[in-house]
Amino acid sequence: MKRLVNILMLSCQKATELIEKEQYFGLSTLEKLRLRVHLTICDFCTRYKQQSRFLHDVLGHHSHDHATNVNESLKEKIINQIENL
Amino acid sequence: MDSHAVIKTWVVSYTDGLYLRACTAVSDKAIAEDLVQETFIAAFQSFDKFRSESSPQTWLFAILNNKINDHYRSKQKASIVSKDTTFFGYFFDEHGHWRESECPKEWSDADLHLLDNSEFKNTLQKCRGNLPGHWDMVLQLKYIDQRDGKEICQDLNISPSNFWQLMHRAKLQLRKCLELHWFNK
Repeated sequence: MKRLVNILMLSCQKATELIEKEQYFGLSTLEKLRLRVHLTICDFCTRYKQQSRFLHDVLGHHSHDHATNVNESLKEKIINQIENL
Repeated sequence: MDSHAVIKTWVVSYTDGLYLRACTAVSDKAIAEDLVQETFIAAFQSFDKFRSESSPQTWLFAILNNKINDHYRSKQKASIVSKDTTFFGYFFDEHGHWRESECPKEWSDADLHLLDNSEFKNTLQKCRGNLPGHWDMVLQLKYIDQRDGKEICQDLNISPSNFWQLMHRAKLQLRKCLELHWFNK
């Protein structure tokens, strides 16, 4: 019994890692079970999961603008520098 | 076209790709920008060595790769996922439980309509700016092109476990920053 508990118990650090892994690669059956058990007893990780999902959606919409801004200012900087050479 | 004009068109066309390559090679956005900048300057200075039958892209990437090698010659190569435990030690105690001050708090109004709010977008932008360059780059690769995790791993030459560990760190830091500067202001 103790061994079973040990197998199922996850730390919050590991649980949040599995939450991320799940989004990108999926989980094995054992990992799914361990995470599910953890989430039934841990409100903080449950909250983390919802917020991580929200960030996932937000980043999906936001990334394009972000990359464009960074790269446009870099291009401008380089062009200015080359003009002065 | 003179060399100024040619290089300018190259800057417009190839900066994105070169910057991506530089960011995955070094773990610092500022260094990556410098490397890309130096690449174009070197290309400009040795422009007469460029053979028009070869592709500018190949030539520029070769210059950049040399710059990256030079950068690492003086420094020991840093692993893309560092093994430091201090990062997690900030969020979790020695048993891996959330530290009391770091427990995720309730976010009210966490909804996609926030993306219409320019103040929120600024906060998000700033929080992303605080991430180490290669973390943000992984986010970009994932979210701009909506690419598959496995493909990104191949491109960056990292293992799947490195990939989700990077995502884990990036998300932890990003959510903390948004909580501090937006949701629990």
